[in-house]
Order: sequence, then structure tokens, then C-alpha cells
Amino acid sequence: MANKKVLIIVPAYNEGANIQRTIQDLRSVTPEFDILVVDDGSADDTALKARAAGVVVTQLPFNLGIGGAVQTGFQYAQTHGYDIAVQFDGDGQHEAGYLNALIAPVAEGKMDIAVGSRFIHPDNTYKSSFVRRIGIHFFAHLISFLTQYQITDPTSGFRAFNRRVIAVFAEDYPSDFPEPESIVIASRYGLRLAEVPVEMRKRQGGVSSIRYFNTLYYMVKVTFAILLNMIKRKKERN
Amino acid sequence: MSTQTLSVVLSLLMGMFVIELVRREKLTFKYAAGWLLLSGAGVVLAIFHEWLDNLSAFLGFALTSNFIFFTMLCGFVFLSLSLTIFLCQQNSRNDRIAQKLGLLEEELALLKSELKKKG
Repeated sequence: MANKKVLIIVPAYNEGANIQRTIQDLRSVTPEFDILVVDDGSADDTALKARAAGVVVTQLPFNLGIGGAVQTGFQYAQTHGYDIAVQFDGDGQHEAGYLNALIAPVAEGKMDIAVGSRFIHPDNTYKSSFVRRIGIHFFAHLISFLTQYQITDPTSGFRAFNRRVIAVFAEDYPSDFPEPESIVIASRYGLRLAEVPVEMRKRQGGVSSIRYFNTLYYMVKVTFAILLNMIKRKKERN
Repeated sequence: MSTQTLSVVLSLLMGMFVIELVRREKLTFKYAAGWLLLSGAGVVLAIFHEWLDNLSAFLGFALTSNFIFFTMLCGFVFLSLSLTIFLCQQNSRNDRIAQKLGLLEEELALLKSELKKKG
């Protein structure tokens, strides 16, 4: 893994309260990896704090949503010739301690995408609301049924990608519900994807984009988005 | 005033309004062309309304007015769908530009600081 050029993409929207802690976390575990913070049109001092921490920051002129922000990271990774890109959320949910375990299958060439799953870890301690757990399991079964992958955590944003995936996602990445939909895209392009056990923390601050009372509506929307994504064609490269 | 005269006048007014919008550069010709064509068709069909009557009877409508309302409704549904497509296209272009801008700004800042270091 030592000879691989790795970029950690940290999408951040109004994460001024968490971003420096996230960067410190990453630096303490993997100081050799480059970090790119994509500030998704934050109204607070996210970009300023990230720059002060000494990482590269790309500031989007307005909020594109997590999909657009992460895709910007893929475009950066592609332009600068990175071998591996990792998505690591800026809200402090992901644990840097699992980075090497997540990257390993991709670096060894066994997988194109590794997805960190909260639900296959032997001492799974992740707690979330009952409704959300039902939602996650529903999508896990739906996506496993529709694609050739065995998925347990389709909404996990803790992922590692190789060059091939970086090239695909720099061009073709969903903007509505990127985590579950991108698994469908990966299947369309015949990419090898597997899950890696990880643990995640509860959000440290800010508000999750999935609110409790909207869960049912969210589930219906995402189901439609996934089903529609299934019948899309590959994008032609420009 | 007969409905025929009213239709001609309204169609002409719409056409003149569109031409005025082009003159004030609120509309480009590309987007105005369709509306001008519609205004022209309105004038012609108001004058030769028996064409409309015949077509509507041929298609099985009891009243020509029903045929006109039906056609216009279908036209508006189609129009709003094409506007939604256009909106989505503009939206994804916007996103692309925003991404590119973000990346280029970062690169520019890097180049500037490198130049500064070199003196």
C-alpha cells in the first residue's frame, strides 16, 4: 500500500464545528495520505478552518449536495493521478482507525470499491433509530436483489475506490441519493464491490440530512430513484 | 366584436408582444420562434375556422371548442415537460460549472502561492 497514491475526500457542509477534529483524526492515523476537503457552499467557516489545518480545500460556489461534492473529489483525484480515493465524511461519523482496513482490498487489487459496513462488524455497537434501521435493511435487500452484490449497509458513505472507479464516478455520479444509487451505477459498469466491517460514531454535531419524520417519504423517493437508475444506460465519456 | 375578430386580435397581440420581448433582448430568436409560429397559426385558423371545424369533426369532437381546449391542454402538458427537461439540463450544467470553478480556484491559489515563493 506504501507505493499507492491515496486521496481522502472529505465532503463538508457547515461542518466548522467538526472539520478540524476530523482532519486531526485522519492525520494521526494516516499521515502519508493527502486530504482534500470539498466545502459544499458552507455558510460557516468550514473552508477557513480546514485551510488552517493545512489541507487542500476546494470551495464550491453554492451547495450541490453530497453527491456533487464527492464527485468534485473524484474529478480532483482523476486530474492529479491518484491510485485510490477514499470518501470520509466531514461530520465526524467515520473512524479513521478503519481506513487501512477499508483501503486494503482495493490496494491489493481484490476489489474496485470497498464499502465500510456498520452491520457486519463482529461487535456491532452502532445504534440508530428503529425506523432508520428498517430503512437501511430495506435498501440493503432491495439493492442486493437488484445487483450482484451482497449489501448490508447501502447508506454508508465510508468507501474506498480505485482508479477505474475514480474515472467512472468523475463522469457519472448520482446527485439525489448518491450512496445507494452509486452501488447501482457500480453494478452497471461491472465494478467489483465488497463490504468491509467498520464501526461508526453517532454524529458529533450538525443535523443529518435524513430527518426522522421524513423517513417514509425518503424511503419511497430512494426506492424510485434506485429503480429508475437500474434502467439507465452507461454515460458516454466526453 | 365577434369571437373570430377577438381571436385574430389576441393572436396578433401575442405575436407583437413576443417581437417586443426579442427587441428588448428578453427572449432570443431561438425561443421566440415557436411562439411566433403559434401566433401566426392563431391568426390563420381564426380567419379560416372551417379548417378547424372539419378537423375537429373528423377526429370525433362534438364541438370545435372542445377540440381547441383539448389540443391546448395537451400542448401545455408537453410544454411543461420539455421545460422540466430543459431545467434539469441547465441544473446539471450548473453543477458541472460549479465543480470546475471550485477545482480551478484551488489550482489558481496553488499556482499563485508557488509564484510568490519563487519571487
